[in-house]
Amino acid sequence: MAKEKLNPVPKKKITKTYIKRYWQLYVLLLLPLIYLAVFKYLPMRYIVLAFKEYKLNTPLMQMPWANVKGKTDVFKYFKTAFGNADFRRALWNTVKLNLLDLVMGFPAPIIFALILNELPFKKFKKTVQTIAYMPHFLSWVIIASLCTQLLAPTDGMINSLIVKMGGESISFLDDSAHWVATYVGAGVWQSFGWGSIIYLAAIAGINPELYEAASVDGAGRFKKMWHITLPGIKPTIVVLLIMNLGYIMGGGFERPFAMKNNLVMDVAEVISTFVYKVGIQQLKISLTTAVGLFQSVVGLFFLLSANAISRKLGERGIW
Amino acid sequence: MKKKVLAVVLAAAMTISLAACGSSEPASTSTDQPAASTTTTDTAASTDTSASTDTTTVAADEPDARGLLNGKFVDTRHITVELYDRNVDGGTEAGNNAWTQWIQQQMLDRYNVEVEFVTVSRWQESDDINNLLASQTAPDICYTYNYGAIQTYANMGGVIDLAPLLEENKDLVPSMFDWLGDELVYQDLDPSAGTLWAIEGKRNEICRINTFIRKDWLDKLGLAEPTTKAEFENVLIAFRDNADTLLGADASKMVPYSISYDVGWRAATLIESFMDPNITDKEYYVNGYDDRKFTENGTKEAIRLLNKWYNDGLIWKDFAVHTGDDTTEDDMIKAGFVGAFTHNYDYPFRNGKDSINATLAAQYGDDAKFVAINCFEDKNGNYTKYSYSNSGDRKTFFPATNDEPIASLLYLEFMSQPETVEYLQIGDEGVIHTVDAATGAIVIQAPDDAHHDWFQNSGKNIDMTINCNGLRLTDPALTTLSLAFSYSDVDPADVQHAIEVAMKDAKVPATPSVGDIAAETEGTDLAGKRDQTYDKAVTASVADFDSVWDAGMAEYLAAGGQAIIDERAAAWDATYSSDMLK
Repeated sequence: MAKEKLNPVPKKKITKTYIKRYWQLYVLLLLPLIYLAVFKYLPMRYIVLAFKEYKLNTPLMQMPWANVKGKTDVFKYFKTAFGNADFRRALWNTVKLNLLDLVMGFPAPIIFALILNELPFKKFKKTVQTIAYMPHFLSWVIIASLCTQLLAPTDGMINSLIVKMGGESISFLDDSAHWVATYVGAGVWQSFGWGSIIYLAAIAGINPELYEAASVDGAGRFKKMWHITLPGIKPTIVVLLIMNLGYIMGGGFERPFAMKNNLVMDVAEVISTFVYKVGIQQLKISLTTAVGLFQSVVGLFFLLSANAISRKLGERGIW
Repeated sequence: MKKKVLAVVLAAAMTISLAACGSSEPASTSTDQPAASTTTTDTAASTDTSASTDTTTVAADEPDARGLLNGKFVDTRHITVELYDRNVDGGTEAGNNAWTQWIQQQMLDRYNVEVEFVTVSRWQESDDINNLLASQTAPDICYTYNYGAIQTYANMGGVIDLAPLLEENKDLVPSMFDWLGDELVYQDLDPSAGTLWAIEGKRNEICRINTFIRKDWLDKLGLAEPTTKAEFENVLIAFRDNADTLLGADASKMVPYSISYDVGWRAATLIESFMDPNITDKEYYVNGYDDRKFTENGTKEAIRLLNKWYNDGLIWKDFAVHTGDDTTEDDMIKAGFVGAFTHNYDYPFRNGKDSINATLAAQYGDDAKFVAINCFEDKNGNYTKYSYSNSGDRKTFFPATNDEPIASLLYLEFMSQPETVEYLQIGDEGVIHTVDAATGAIVIQAPDDAHHDWFQNSGKNIDMTINCNGLRLTDPALTTLSLAFSYSDVDPADVQHAIEVAMKDAKVPATPSVGDIAAETEGTDLAGKRDQTYDKAVTASVADFDSVWDAGMAEYLAAGGQAIIDERAAAWDATYSSDMLK
C-alpha cells in the first residue's frame, strides 16, 4: 500500500509496461490457454445434449429438446438414469470403490516416500524406487490379465500353490467381496510408486537445518518424521487429497472394465462401464451426456467443499 | 534476442498445430448440412421415379436420369464400403490386398464406380460404426449382424429408407433379387410404416453348432461315443477319474468339459435339447430376441444339469473369470487338456495348420482329434437343435450420409452375382484352391508365399461377400460336394461327419417379418444380465441354484426382457391373424 503512495503510477500503465516487458512470456502463456479453449471449453457446448434428443446428421442447435411423447421435459434423461436400477447400482459401486481406493491408496505413496527417505543406501534406494514406478506404465488390460493368470481359482499360480501346500483355493476373482479387495489391491500396487514421486520432491525441499536442529535436541527418527517431514509435506498432501476428492464420482474406465467378470458384476459395474455399455455402445448419446454432466457436477461439488474446508482449517487449498 | 526468436517460433508452431487439430472439428460441422453438397444428386434420385420408366425413350447413346448408360455410369462415381478388419496373424492389410484391388477394378470396369474400403475392427464393429455415424463419416454401405443397432440409427434419422430406392431402381439389381428373393430383401420391411432400413443377407451354410469329444481318449479308455446325456456324463466322469492315464504329469490340468463365460452359446446343444421339440413358431419367435435361448422353456433345467456337472468337477472351474477375447480356453484345448466342448459346428477345423485338430495331431499323432457327436437327446429321444436359417445373416444398410445410393445398389448387385462370389471364395485354381482328383471337389488351401497377397483374411472372404455367408459356387451340386473340403490341413471325412451330426434333427428357426420392435432399442444391458445369470447359476452351489437363477431371471425380465417378449407377442398377433396361428 505504502509503495503505491510513493509511486502513483496508474494501474493501467503498470499492466501495459508489464506486457511490453514480458510479452514473450505472455505469448507462451497463450498456448496453454488456446489448448484449454479448444479442447476443454469449446466441446463443453455439447453439454446441452443432456437436455436434448440426439439425432444423427443434425446440427446441435436443431436437435429437439428432450421430450416424452412430444411433451418437453428437459430433465428426461436425468430421470431415465436415476429411474434405472442398474445406474443406481453403478453409482453406489463407483462411490464405494473410489472411497476404498482413497482410504487404501492415498496413504500408500506417503508411507512409501517416508520409508524411502529414511533409507541409507543410495543405490538400493534408487533401485527400489525404479521398480516401484514400473507398474504405473502397465496398461490395465495387462494388469488384469496378470491378475487372472496369478489369481484364477484353479489355474492361477497363487491358488495352485496354495492348493499344493494343502490349503484351500481363495476366490480372489470370483467372489464379490474378494474381488473388491483384489481390485483395490491392484490399484494400490499400480500407483503407489509413481504417486510417491511428488512427496519425495516435497521432502527434498525441506530445510535440512531443521533435521540438524532436531538431532541436536535429541529427536529420534520417528520424532523427526512426525515433527518435521510430515508437517513439511502437509501442503502437498492437502492439495492432492482435494484433487482426489474431485474424482470420487469419476474414475477411469479401463480398470473396472478390464478387471470385471460375470460373477462379480454386482460390485464391478461402475458409472464408466455402465455409460459405455448402455450409452456409447447403444448410441444413447443424450443419456451418456446427462450421466457425465451429473458426475462432473458432483465432482466439482466435492472439490469445492474440500477446498473450502481446508482453507477454513488454515491450509492453503488449491487456489 | 535468441530467446525472443525461440518464443515466437514455439508459439507459432504450437498455434499452427492447434489450428490444424482444431480444424477437423469445424470441417465436420460444415458437413452438418449434407444437403448442401448432395442436393443435386438428391433431386436427381427423386426424379428417378418418372425417369426410370422413361428410360426407353432416351436416345441410346444418352445417359438416363441416373447418369447410367448401358448400366454404366458416364462419369466416375465414388463409394465407400465397410469391411471388417480381423487383424489376422499372418494376414494381409484388410483394406488393401489382391482381393480388394480385384473388387475395385471390377466395379470400375463394369459400372465406372470407384470403391474405397473403410475398415472397422471386427470385434468392435458396433462401437466403430456408432462413431462413424455420429461423425457423419460412415461408409456408404454398412453391414452388421445386429438389426437392433440399425433400428436405433434409423430412429435417429441416420439411415436411408431403402423401400422407395429399390422400387425406383429394381431394374439395376436383378442378381440381388435372384439371390435373396423378395422374401429376404423385404424381410425387414415394417408392415405398418412401409419402411425398409436394411436388406438381410443369406446364409448358404446353415450348420450351426456341435459337441466335440476327444476320440483318442474314448479309445484309450475303451469307451463308446456317448449318445445320451447320461452316457455323456459317464464319459466325463471317466475322463475326470482317469486323468493320470490320459494326461500323465499334467493330470491336474484335466478339464472333462469346457465352457466359456458365454454359456448360452457354449452349451447351446444342451440347452436346445431341453426345449420342447414341439414349440410353436410364435413361442420361438417371442423368446427369440435372445439368441442364447435364455427365456426359453427348458433352459433352466439344462443349466441345472450344468450346475450339477460343475459341482461334480466335470466342468472347467475357471471359465467365468476368463472374459472377452481371452484365448486361455483355446490354448487348453489345443494343448490337449480338454475332453469335450460345444462350439461352432466346424470349430476344430478352422485356421488350417493352427486349427485345433491339426495342432493336436502335430503333438500327439493323427489319432488325437475331436470328433462331433450327438449326445443330448430331447424328450422324444431325438437330437433337436437349431441350425441357422437361410434367411437373415448380416444386414446391409445405407447411412443417411450416402450420396451415391444408386452406385451403392450396383455394388450390392455386383456382390450378388454368382461369378463374383465364386471368385471371392475360391479364387484362381492353384492359388487358393485345387480340384480333388477323386471327387472333383474344390479344395481350398492357403496361398503360398509368392501369392501371399491372395490370403483370405476371413474364411472364404465372408467379410467381402456381404450378403452371402457360406460356400456358394455357381454349381450347387459342386458346392455341397466341396463343403467338407473347404478346410485345409484337416481330414475332410471329419468335416463331413461334423456336417451330418450338426444337421441331424436340426430345426430351421422361422424368421417372421413382423416389423420393428421398439422395446429392443431401449438402452439396457440385457445381454450382460443374461450372461451374468448363466455364469452365476452354473457356479452356484446345488442348493442355491434355484434362487440364483430365479433372481437373475427376474432382473432380466424387469430390465426390459418382459417388455420385449410382450411387444413381440403383440406384433406376431397383429401380423398373423388368429386362424393362421400354428
